[in-house]
Amino acid sequence: MSDILFYILATVLVILSGCAVSLPNILHSAIALIGSFIITAALYIMLQIELLALAQIMLYVGGIVVFMLLIILLTTGLGVDDKLGRISTWKWISKGMITGLLFTGMLYFFTENSSSLLDQASAKAAPITIDQIGIRLLSTENGFIVPFEVVSLLLLAALVGAVVIARKDAEKKEEQS
Amino acid sequence: MNMSATETLYPLHNGIGNMVRALFPESAFFINGLLGLIAVVILTSTLAAVLILLERKVSAHFQVRLGPMRVGFHGILQPLADGIKLIFKEILKPKGADSFTFYLAPMLPLTATFLIMAILPFDHHLQLADPAGGVLYVLGISGLAVLGLLLAGWSSNNKLSLLGAMRAGAQMISFEISLALIMLLIVMLSGTASLREIVLSQQGLIFDWWIFKLPFLGIISFIMYLIASTAELNRTPFDLAEGESELTAGYHTEYSGMGFAMFFFAEFVNMFISAALATTFFLGGFHAPLIGIDFIDPILNIIPGFIWFFGKTFFIVFIYMWFRWTFPRLRIDQLMSLEWKMMLPTNLLLLMMGAVFMVLGWAG
Repeated sequence: MSDILFYILATVLVILSGCAVSLPNILHSAIALIGSFIITAALYIMLQIELLALAQIMLYVGGIVVFMLLIILLTTGLGVDDKLGRISTWKWISKGMITGLLFTGMLYFFTENSSSLLDQASAKAAPITIDQIGIRLLSTENGFIVPFEVVSLLLLAALVGAVVIARKDAEKKEEQS
Repeated sequence: MNMSATETLYPLHNGIGNMVRALFPESAFFINGLLGLIAVVILTSTLAAVLILLERKVSAHFQVRLGPMRVGFHGILQPLADGIKLIFKEILKPKGADSFTFYLAPMLPLTATFLIMAILPFDHHLQLADPAGGVLYVLGISGLAVLGLLLAGWSSNNKLSLLGAMRAGAQMISFEISLALIMLLIVMLSGTASLREIVLSQQGLIFDWWIFKLPFLGIISFIMYLIASTAELNRTPFDLAEGESELTAGYHTEYSGMGFAMFFFAEFVNMFISAALATTFFLGGFHAPLIGIDFIDPILNIIPGFIWFFGKTFFIVFIYMWFRWTFPRLRIDQLMSLEWKMMLPTNLLLLMMGAVFMVLGWAG
């Protein structure tokens, strides 16, 4: 039952991902991307990683794709420009072959050299609860993930600083005029 | 409070559920799920009709009018007449509109409302599913509604629609942050992210509800939840997205017939959902308001939990309608400064004070 469901979801995921990179209209690509994110979340739920699925929906569908859509809506003419149509068939085939070769190689490697590490991990895969993740995030032993993540705030501060420095000139010009 | 482990995993344990389980032990899980889904669909459809009539009646009485009176007793059948009219109306598509997106957009907000209805705890055993990260689920699914509005505005091929959609998107994204922080405060206090567990953590007297716990913090965060959720719902005084005087009707200008009905439907049921979440987080969900007097409490306990739940929820729905006919509309810059300069810092402060109170043990 769950095997069939997995194959259905995986097929739809592959089709949607293909659409996301190949559709001529960029807004349609964004919609396909939303679909593929939601199906990825469904796969996470099948793997019993509930928190990851919810975070996937919350961050990607509710956050990142909304920002992408806002950017697409703010730019004009993106809905009609068919840049993919200008790529020649020869390029499509050659790049498709390279990607296919790499993918087949990876598949061969993982099926032939199934490492003991991978098997062990899949054998004892227990459902991870939110509580366990929370403890790992904040505990003093084997944890400290939150302080590590907070360091990335520095990057945000740097970005905001750059914007502030860049804005000063514009304000001065406004005062002069 | 003595629930066995299986009962907390599958909240769909009630009379009908147990009967199905006894009759068809093997496929009970499937049948019960299906029955629950049908119940949610029926409840959502009924709620939309009730809320639309309620809105019209309440607004009429605020303006010393009578509102719909002709169809049925005091206009009770008015939503039915409206629904029939909308079903038989032609769905017009503007020239140059993107067909696929145009027809997809109204379905997204509707899907979001159905998905959230599935995890609301109406009573002890009246909840379709109870994910451990229910709060995260609510926040994530509400993103779908924003997507629907943005796509509707873009695909209508209309400048006013696009402007309305951009306003709605910006507004909903920014106020979602405040909403998430308030929910985080409650998650921190109750120590769980599942909606059912949050309700159970408020068991006891009326003073055990989170709104009255924490000296003043509970009531302040409740008021801020009301403000943020009104903005999230795009209702007056924050209805810039569909300000009639500027944008005709915003993102759903070009929709007619069922397309418009879907947006309208989702908007009203979302109001109920916001009120239900406020009930869950602050007003003790399905618990009766016990006041600690020996001869009154048993009488209050006789009334079933879902009646208390709906009573509290409709009280908050009434407050939303009250807002609508009391406050004038804000400007877009006022709205943004309200969120980013006032609500967000206050929320962060509240969260920190809540943490301090938890450590000091004043949270109860």
